[in-house]
Amino acid sequence: MTTTVDPRPVLEVEGLSLSVPGHDGPVPLLADVGLVVRPGETVGLVGESGSGKSLTIRTALGLTPRRARTAGRVTVDGLDVLSAGRGELRELRRHTAAMVFQDPRASVNGSRTIGAHLVEGLRAGGVDRRQARARAVELLERVGIREPARAMRRHPGEFSGGMLQRVVIAGALSTNPRLLLADEPTTALDVTTQAEVVSLLTSMQAEAGMGMVFVTHDLTLAAAVCDRVVVMYAGRVVEVAAGDELFRSPAHPYTAALLDAHPGLHGPRAALRAVPGRPLALAETPSGCSFRDRCTEADDACAEEVPALRRHGGSDAACLRPGREAWA
Amino acid sequence: MTVRAGTTRWVLGRLAGASGTVVVASVVVYAALQLVPGDPLATLTGGKRLTESQLDVLRQTYGLDKGFVAGYLDWAGHVARFDLGTSSVYQDSVNSLLASRLPVSLALIGYAAVVTVVLGLGVAVVSAVAGRRTATLATVLTSGAAATPPFVAVIVLLAVFSVGLGWFPVTGAGSGFLDRVWHLTLPAVAMAIAAFGVLARVGQAAFADQLRREHVEVARSRGVGRAAVLRRHVVRNSLGPVVTVVGLLLASLFVGTAVVETAFGINGIGAFLVSSVSRQDFPVVQAVSLLAVVVFVVISTAVDLLLPVLDPQLRPAVTR
Amino acid sequence: MTLTVPALRARRVRRNRRGPVAVVGAAVFLAVVVVAAVAAPLLAPYSPDATSLLDSLLPPGSPGHLLGTDSTGRDVLSRLLYGARLSLLAPLGVVLASTVLGVAVGLVAARGPRWADLLLSRTMDIAFAFPSLLLAMLAVAVFGAGLAAPMVALSIAYTPFVGRVVRSLAVQEGSRAYVESYAVMGFSTTWVTLRHLLPNLAPALAAQAALAFGYALIDLATLSFLGLGVRPPESDWGSMIAQAQPAILQGLPASAIVPGVTVLLTVIAVNLLGEHLGSSVGRTDRERA
Repeated sequence: MTTTVDPRPVLEVEGLSLSVPGHDGPVPLLADVGLVVRPGETVGLVGESGSGKSLTIRTALGLTPRRARTAGRVTVDGLDVLSAGRGELRELRRHTAAMVFQDPRASVNGSRTIGAHLVEGLRAGGVDRRQARARAVELLERVGIREPARAMRRHPGEFSGGMLQRVVIAGALSTNPRLLLADEPTTALDVTTQAEVVSLLTSMQAEAGMGMVFVTHDLTLAAAVCDRVVVMYAGRVVEVAAGDELFRSPAHPYTAALLDAHPGLHGPRAALRAVPGRPLALAETPSGCSFRDRCTEADDACAEEVPALRRHGGSDAACLRPGREAWA
Repeated sequence: MTVRAGTTRWVLGRLAGASGTVVVASVVVYAALQLVPGDPLATLTGGKRLTESQLDVLRQTYGLDKGFVAGYLDWAGHVARFDLGTSSVYQDSVNSLLASRLPVSLALIGYAAVVTVVLGLGVAVVSAVAGRRTATLATVLTSGAAATPPFVAVIVLLAVFSVGLGWFPVTGAGSGFLDRVWHLTLPAVAMAIAAFGVLARVGQAAFADQLRREHVEVARSRGVGRAAVLRRHVVRNSLGPVVTVVGLLLASLFVGTAVVETAFGINGIGAFLVSSVSRQDFPVVQAVSLLAVVVFVVISTAVDLLLPVLDPQLRPAVTR
Repeated sequence: MTLTVPALRARRVRRNRRGPVAVVGAAVFLAVVVVAAVAAPLLAPYSPDATSLLDSLLPPGSPGHLLGTDSTGRDVLSRLLYGARLSLLAPLGVVLASTVLGVAVGLVAARGPRWADLLLSRTMDIAFAFPSLLLAMLAVAVFGAGLAAPMVALSIAYTPFVGRVVRSLAVQEGSRAYVESYAVMGFSTTWVTLRHLLPNLAPALAAQAALAFGYALIDLATLSFLGLGVRPPESDWGSMIAQAQPAILQGLPASAIVPGVTVLLTVIAVNLLGEHLGSSVGRTDRERA
């Protein structure tokens, strides 16, 4: 799937930190997050709830929480998002990047028609009303909605979740974005429709040559779909690796724990193991490695400083002792 | 059952319920006369000496020599033909007495309604988009307004704007359009203050609820402009609660004319109701009471029927 | 969505901190008003009815008359203190009556036979069509001016508001597991309803009662303002304002503004308390709202 040339990335996140004001001073949510997505590439962003994965991709669209403070650099197709003005951000959202949200029921306005949803995005992108309608019908057909002309007049309540997510995808693709951000696009759907939606997304992405960020908490799905997977924990990136590499030999203990907690079809039928402890928000993490409280391999050295990403085999891992072979 | 048949049945059900409410209310209004201690006939004559033939008309109109049920049916028959009887104070038909007072009251209600809706939704929108400090200020303002009884508003407005600053007249309804607007401004504002507070608070809550929703973030993520997001997503989706409250407030403005018209010396339905109550002019009291109930029922039924048209998410299950 | 959780938590703490200040203020104000009403004979510097034409329409702050005098020279502070008695007692009566009636109606509708629910719910719908002030005026037309008839009328007019809340809460509570388990153990519906359902409804009822008190106070004061409520020599805040109206036109509005502002502050204080009670009923309710 990877393209042979190495063109300019459509999304580049470097050293992104973000905090929001809280009761007793700022509450940090992201620290030093990095991410690169090139055209035609699919990058998975994986982690538990609260790990900051959704927040990271929202930042790429300038959708940061109110009064959030940011540091670092986020570039989308050459635009520096964090310092962009309102007009530039609007242009970015209208033409360059689009997002597919988790729950189609919540993300399509239930009071308005499907047609209104699609036309709204196209109109915002500067298409005139008549063309927008024609384009919307075309898009519905492309994402596999039957009787697209009639569907335009229907309300979201008349569609199943899977069908509605197709509508959302049609809406996201309507302006031919160069970057597609998919925020857990299958989490709210039944298992059978999940596969359909994933294959629709990947085929559309390949067809258009977009860069895609696929956010999920499902490491197996990410490994199967993505060229590269970025694993986040408590607002930090802990491992970056090619999908299959990650699956075969996780370098960070957290990644390994996630894999062990997931029933695999490929690996040996080992007993499932839950990751001990609960997922932490960045503000609650201990000094040093964020994961050390839950890590079975942690020792005193892990408390000293936040480990930087270091090359280990095919991965980059933020761990002092990466790789299963180093663990007891 | 098809969708259309379900819808028809639902609409007919709502209309039947509304008619039933009016009928029961009319029974209560009729019974009120019978509850007056002493002879109902004496109440209706209001102490005046009437000829035997006039008395016969009264007995017949109110079915006084029959039982309660037969009597009610007689009276209801007259009312259904818009024959609301004769005022015992003015010895004039209630119809013409009401007809001469209705226009000024309707003008007042209309004026107050416009002020309520414009200010109420305006403040709600502003506090939805403004920062936290402005929103808090708006909440304090609207909570205070919502708790302000009309008679308190009346005295403050009179003291400040009529007597103190001399900007507006103290009494009367004025003649000609501009003069009428000028005369009705303070009364309309007095009526609108509480209603504005209630509407603004409901609007604020509804808008804030929608602003938190994901479809709003989706619209933003697609680069839809701020004004369009507000209009198509926030206000549009809040129409349910907003229209419901506007309906209730409109209905309450009808009775609200009583205080304001009395205080500002406006010769409308509300002031007429108050003076008729204190003089026990029963035909008038009954007519205005029935009118108030009908206004309430018509408005609330209209709102019920309107909501599913405005927002498909508010459609009752049977009509889906 | 998980990403805003820490931010939301921070905001909620801050909002709760602002609330209690206003709520405490409201409670203190109401306590002062209640004490003033109870101890009026001890606190009032003059008889509320002592007229003195020489001292008429004195502004607030005049020597001997802290809040001034009205057009017949009666001391406004004394009248305000005595007026508080009827102004508070009458709405209290209305709230008690409508709460008792509303609880009875709501519980029977929720837990009684189906036909009773249909009948009562339909009756409550119809009662909503009568604005409370209209029903009160109708009662005055029938029985003449005075507070008794309007109090009865308002008690009836407010019953459906309480009844609806009680019915929906009781239906909700009734579907909880503990109610069913009592039924399985053989306790009667009535026993479970009175012994277990009712106490659980108490906080919501208190909130409802506080709001109803504000409305009743306004409705009754309105009637007195219109000359349809208390009859002289009795007086309440509404009748004080009505009697002070001519003075407003003379440019001396103080004797009207003082009782007017007292009514307003009392209603706001009661509403604040009611909202506070209502919001602490269930966190989940507020989060949905």
